[in-house]
Parts: sequence; structure tokens; C-alpha cells
Amino acid sequence: MVLYAVKIFSLLLAAIAISKSYVDFRGRRESLQMFVFWTATWAAIVLLSLYPPIVDVLIERFGSGRAGLGTFFGMGLVFLFFVVYRMYVKLERIEQKLTKTIQEIALREWDRK
Amino acid sequence: MRDPKTIAVVMPAHNEAQVIGAVIANIPKKIRAMSVVTIVVDDGSSDATAQIARQQGACVVRHLTNLGAGAATLTGLEAARKLDADIIVTIDSDGQHDPAEIQSLVEALLDGPYDVVIGSRLMDPEGMPATRIAANLLLNAITYVVYRKIVSDSQSGFKVFSRSALDAFDLRSAGYEVCSEIIGEVYRKNLRYKSIPVKAVYTRYSQAKGQHFLNGINIILGLLMRLMRRV
Repeated sequence: MVLYAVKIFSLLLAAIAISKSYVDFRGRRESLQMFVFWTATWAAIVLLSLYPPIVDVLIERFGSGRAGLGTFFGMGLVFLFFVVYRMYVKLERIEQKLTKTIQEIALREWDRK
Repeated sequence: MRDPKTIAVVMPAHNEAQVIGAVIANIPKKIRAMSVVTIVVDDGSSDATAQIARQQGACVVRHLTNLGAGAATLTGLEAARKLDADIIVTIDSDGQHDPAEIQSLVEALLDGPYDVVIGSRLMDPEGMPATRIAANLLLNAITYVVYRKIVSDSQSGFKVFSRSALDAFDLRSAGYEVCSEIIGEVYRKNLRYKSIPVKAVYTRYSQAKGQHFLNGINIILGLLMRLMRRV
């Protein structure tokens, strides 16, 4: 029952994420590379949730003797932390640029008075 | 320091229409024959903060949208530079500080002479809620870890700088962590500083307007990011 819920949930999320990415791509707010990246990422997530035994095949093929499910998810977690860190840095950079622009406008308007 | 003539009082303000008039009215008009100019940085207020500040005779610099107290302070410092101010004061606009104390801070700067004088709420914390004392002590400790400088009130918004100190600063933080960054600059640029006790007026209004728990988390995150980038 729980497994079905996970499958439906991941399918739903993937549908939302891919369609959102497609709309952004069509609206030229997202590059082709980003659209392909997100589509491939969500497709992989859906594949894993629909056919969980794939994880066993991957571990068997790429894992050494001691590698297991923990290693697989550990790597996923490290990757997620890296993504969050990159997003934080990028957001901070955008915020800094926005701040600088608004400050410049405020001081220019003030100069004119 | 050249013979000082102008003192600029920088007040970052966001929706402070209720109290800002009284705060500006209590700022001394002259200190030791130096004229005092008040610069209010209206940080995207939706109320009458800017109009009231203008009515009280303050220069008003207006942000199109709310950027936060740190960014508003930096805008105010830049405006003070443009006014060619010799001494720069920063003070909260929510009535937490007593503007009459500007005089003692400026006199401490001139008599030292010091480059920076910090009004410390923690040197005489009477009336300060225990949670605020604890949060400020924690932020003092984090400021020390990041900037290697321990001061009694690293988050105080009530400070006085000489013009040469302001020109020496290289401030980049737009958030609340600008207070800690100033402490770091005092240390890096070998500036002479002094902390002197100031009263903190904790009314229901100033407590509601003051720094919240989430702001504290943002300061810690901002400071930790600085530390990570340095490593």
C-alpha cells in the first residue's frame, strides 16, 4: 500500500516538475540544457519508484563488496546537499545584485532632489 | 581627523510611522557646534514613514522595496558619504534607543579619540528580556568565531564612526549580519574602538519590531556562509 502511494506521489511530482519545466522552456525562461536535465532527473526518479529492484541491479553492478543500499542513498544525500548549497549561493548572489540595484536607484533619486 | 563640522544620523526605517516622528524630534540639533543632519532610509514602507520623516526635517532616501535593516544601513552610510559628513551615527528608528544619548557617543568618539564607538545594551542590561540577552551573547560568540573580535554588543544598531573609519570599511553584507561585519572591519583595519553603555527601551512596540528568532537564524547562516567561503 505504502509502495503504491510512493509510486503515485513520485509520478505526480514528476508530472508537475516536467510540465513546469516545459512551460518555462517554451516561454524562453529556461534553457534547453536545463529542460533536458530536469526531464532526465525526474524520469530517473519515476523509473526508480516504479521499479525499485533497479537499485539492487545498480548496487550489484557498480558496488564493491561492502557497498549497499546505505551507500546508494548516502551518495544521493550528499548530492542533494551539494544542490542545496549551490542554490543557496546562487540565491544569495541574485539577492546581492537586486540589493545593489535598489540602493543605486534610491541614491540616484535622492541626488536629483 | 579634520575639524569635524557635520554629523549625519542614519536611521534605517520600515513602517515606523507610529514612532519615527518622536525619535527624529529627540535627536540633538547641534553637538559641540557641529550641525546634525538626519538621514532616514525608508526601506520600502507602506505607511507614512517617509512623509513624517520629511515633516520632521530629515533627508529621506527611499528603497523601492524592502531590503532589510542591513541594506538600509549601508544605503544610509553611502548617503552620509555623499553629504560629506565628518561623523556618522547609526540608530534604530523604532524608539529602542534614546536619541539624547547620541551626544555622549559622539563626545566619546571625539575625546578618545576613537574611530568607532559602540553603544552597548549589554553593559547595563537592566530591563532587557533574558531571551534577548541570551540571543545577543550567542551572536557575540559567533561573531568572535567568524571575525576574531569580541565586543560586548556585536548586534547593536547604535554606533558612531569617524569619517576615516567609514572610508576604511569594506562592507558587503546586506542582511542583519552587517553589524557583525562592522566588528570584523574594526578588527581587520586596526581601528580604535570603545563600547559605552546605552539604555535600551523595550516597549511592546519595539519588541514587536525588533529582531525576531528567524532573523537570528539568518544572521547565523550569513556568518557561517562567510566562514565557509574563507575556509
